[in-house]
Amino acid sequence: MIARVARQLLREALPDLAWRHRLTHWRTEIFAGFVGAVLVIPQGINFAWLAGMQPEYGLYCAIFVTLFASLLGSSSMMSGPNTAVAILIGAAVLPLAGRGSPVYVDFVFLLCLMVGIVQLLFWLLRAGRLFQYISPAAISGISAGAGFLIVMSSLDSLLGLSSFQTTFFYQKLYVILSDAVDLVSPYSLSIALVTITAGYLARERSSRYFLLIAVAAGYVAGLVVAFIWPQPVTELEYLGRMPIEWLPWRVPTLTMEYLMISVSLIPYAVTIAVIGLAQSLVIVRELKMETDQDIRLDKEVYAQGVANFLAPFFSAFAGAGSFNRTKANQSLGATTPLSTLAASVFVLLLVSLLGPVLTWMPMAALAGTLFIVGANMIKWSDVQHYARVRSELMIYLATFLCIVFFGLAAGVTVAVVLSVTAFLLNISRLELREESTAAGTLLRVRGALFYASMETLSDAFHRHLQGDLTVDLQYATHIDQSAVDFFAREAAQMRRRAQTLHLRVNATQSHFLQSMGVGDNVRLEALQDDAPPATIPFAPHHSTTLTGETR
Amino acid sequence: MFHRYLILVALLLSATAHAQEEQPSISQLLQEPFLDDYYSNVVYGYEIVTDSQRHASRYVGNALNCSSCHLQAGTQKDALPLNVAGMYPKWRAKNGKRNGIGLRIRECFLYSMDGIMPPEDAPEVLAVSAYVSYLSQGEVMGAEPEGRGVPTLPDTGYDPNPASGRLVYLQQCASCHGEQGQGVGVAPPVWGLDSFNRGAGMHGIETAAGFIWANMPLGQGRSLSQQQALDVAAYINLQIRPADPRESRLLKLLEAVLP
Ligand code: HEC
Ligand code: HEC
Repeated sequence: MIARVARQLLREALPDLAWRHRLTHWRTEIFAGFVGAVLVIPQGINFAWLAGMQPEYGLYCAIFVTLFASLLGSSSMMSGPNTAVAILIGAAVLPLAGRGSPVYVDFVFLLCLMVGIVQLLFWLLRAGRLFQYISPAAISGISAGAGFLIVMSSLDSLLGLSSFQTTFFYQKLYVILSDAVDLVSPYSLSIALVTITAGYLARERSSRYFLLIAVAAGYVAGLVVAFIWPQPVTELEYLGRMPIEWLPWRVPTLTMEYLMISVSLIPYAVTIAVIGLAQSLVIVRELKMETDQDIRLDKEVYAQGVANFLAPFFSAFAGAGSFNRTKANQSLGATTPLSTLAASVFVLLLVSLLGPVLTWMPMAALAGTLFIVGANMIKWSDVQHYARVRSELMIYLATFLCIVFFGLAAGVTVAVVLSVTAFLLNISRLELREESTAAGTLLRVRGALFYASMETLSDAFHRHLQGDLTVDLQYATHIDQSAVDFFAREAAQMRRRAQTLHLRVNATQSHFLQSMGVGDNVRLEALQDDAPPATIPFAPHHSTTLTGETR
Repeated sequence: MFHRYLILVALLLSATAHAQEEQPSISQLLQEPFLDDYYSNVVYGYEIVTDSQRHASRYVGNALNCSSCHLQAGTQKDALPLNVAGMYPKWRAKNGKRNGIGLRIRECFLYSMDGIMPPEDAPEVLAVSAYVSYLSQGEVMGAEPEGRGVPTLPDTGYDPNPASGRLVYLQQCASCHGEQGQGVGVAPPVWGLDSFNRGAGMHGIETAAGFIWANMPLGQGRSLSQQQALDVAAYINLQIRPADPRESRLLKLLEAVLP
């Protein structure tokens, strides 16, 4: 038994290169990788900024996390820098050290190490399927909330403010609005406006490259501004030279003092691990439905864990699956991890080549693209989509508002708790349907009969103080000991009132009830197993399904 | 009686010395396995000042380090020491941009290092500010520290003469800084495209002359006469170096195109 589990784990742990047999169009794959690399460069830089890190760390994330996740995974999912993960890293480490300072960087890498370990624990415990319980509404809510946070934090560079912290977003808006003339730098603002306008115009034409077009427009606007006004006048922020190394090996600092302080990072590590896996697994599951790739969820959990665990050793921070890059990859026809491998190599090549050009990239242009990315994550269509089911709309809105007011970590916690609650409420719901027949009352039951759903059933029983009662259990999905006890107890009481309790059950249920000891007071009526009723006497369930709406 | 008085004074002195808590030296800090946010930034600032090429490469555009001019990591008097936190206002203007010492640091990146002006809250700027306040421990707020900046040379009565400056340079300086001013080994370039630009403080003849007179040739400061220092400063000042980033390129183009 143990040997079998160990063998299975080992098989998952080793890179599985079976995809190379499917590799028929390697040129397609490599081209898709190239596009992925071009798309990820601005994202890596932007998300590094969200995480409070120097831009090169984001690019290392785009290189190494992508590389490890695709080598060890089984799908063509593009991993790498991820918005929610980046925001959470910033939120976790900012209280401990100044943005981007050496201690800050050390703590970020320690945090990422922990994220990797937590994800590997999830893998060992086979907990990947737990993430199916996080409702799609919650994931959309998290994404919208993250989008809001991104828009807010892009304002700093967009308007040329030195970043300042306020507790709530409206305080920041108030300060900006009331002091607009003093605060806002016209140079930053105009570059950002050019970027955003170009982005939205380009989106009409090309849904894939519009961000690149936006960055390029912003870059050119920056050049024009720099040509007319010198930097001491504009005080524009530029990206600066990036010291990119091909093998940025580093060993995370692990002294006693660091470990003591980093205890406070554990809740964040768990949150980041959960949110990273939740997003990645949504992507993977969709890929599995839409393509014929041989994808195993547990293997993907493992790949994410190892990639994040190894990331700090290569100066990269943690990442997760990226929805938009996976989509681009897929639409270009890539179906194997080769495209993602190619992407990580191309990032390295491109950044080494483009380095001098990127130096003069105005931060306002990058903030403009960040603004577009964030604004795109808040979708009115999501609200409409979830508005059909009240509980899902509740989850979506609660998650979103919680993130807006209390931050991403609080929002993720609320999202998980609410999804699990909604799930439990859903499965503990029994549908009952009563009919009066000649033999008394017939009660049809649909749902799981277990301790949490007994309440509903007992209410129904206590409405029948006279006449015989027949309970039809053929749509009951599950019966547990407390349900059996309940039937035995009720039957005994009814007997005292000269009533009889009949249970209409199939053979397996009958066998089960007897072995659990329902007693003689209950009459079991056997059903013909292979004769299901012509029509199911219940209305269809209302619930939204997982569609392409989530990221 | 007199002896007892002396002992009392000695005791008092040692007591006050203890009361004023000693801050750890940089070499002590470098050996600590763990530093808090402030001291880690101090160390980072120290590393930036002594090895800007490696630790602040993002914003540096030439081959200098801060300590090329701020000698001994900014601790040497008359060589632009950095113990000057007390000379700068701590307040932030409304737009957060004119943050005293921060602005000064950013300007040295832009002019002396011929680089990019880092944002106000760049980690590099914050680290150097921390280092500056570390060095300024014990100085009096608002009072000019002894040996700040470079000495001002008195009027010698003669105009600085680049031609005789050239001779001084070739005799006294070229061995280290190279005949083309390009820098040799540890000696940094004093002109050329890898040196400070025309906006830098060192591009002023007075500042440069004061610096050179007090500190150069390295290790034999004050060996030149003041006139020699002025001459060589004027000579260096005439050489080619990167343009002043304060000039608008558009205006320069217009000037070149329009008659
Ligand atoms: C080419 C020589 C040179 C280099 C290199 C240089 N500086 Fe300076 N720095 C000066 C001069 C000259 C002054 C004072 C002159 C002035 O007022 O313009 C100065 C002034 C300063 C001051 C204010 C000192 C005071 O007395 O008020 C600070 C702080 C400073 N520099 C920081 C730096 C930092 C940080 C670096 C490295 C990134 C650096 N400097 C590199 C030449 C240099
Ligand atoms: C012994 C070698 C040596 C000699 C001789 C020497 N210097 Fe320097 N000089 C240095 C070094 C080394 C530095 C950088 C300081 C440091 O890194 O500690 C420096 C820095 C400078 C700087 C500021 C940094 C820069 O690159 O602009 C100037 C200006 C300068 N020297 C001018 C002179 C002049 C003028 C002479 C001749 C009078 C001279 N030096 C002679 C070694 C020398």
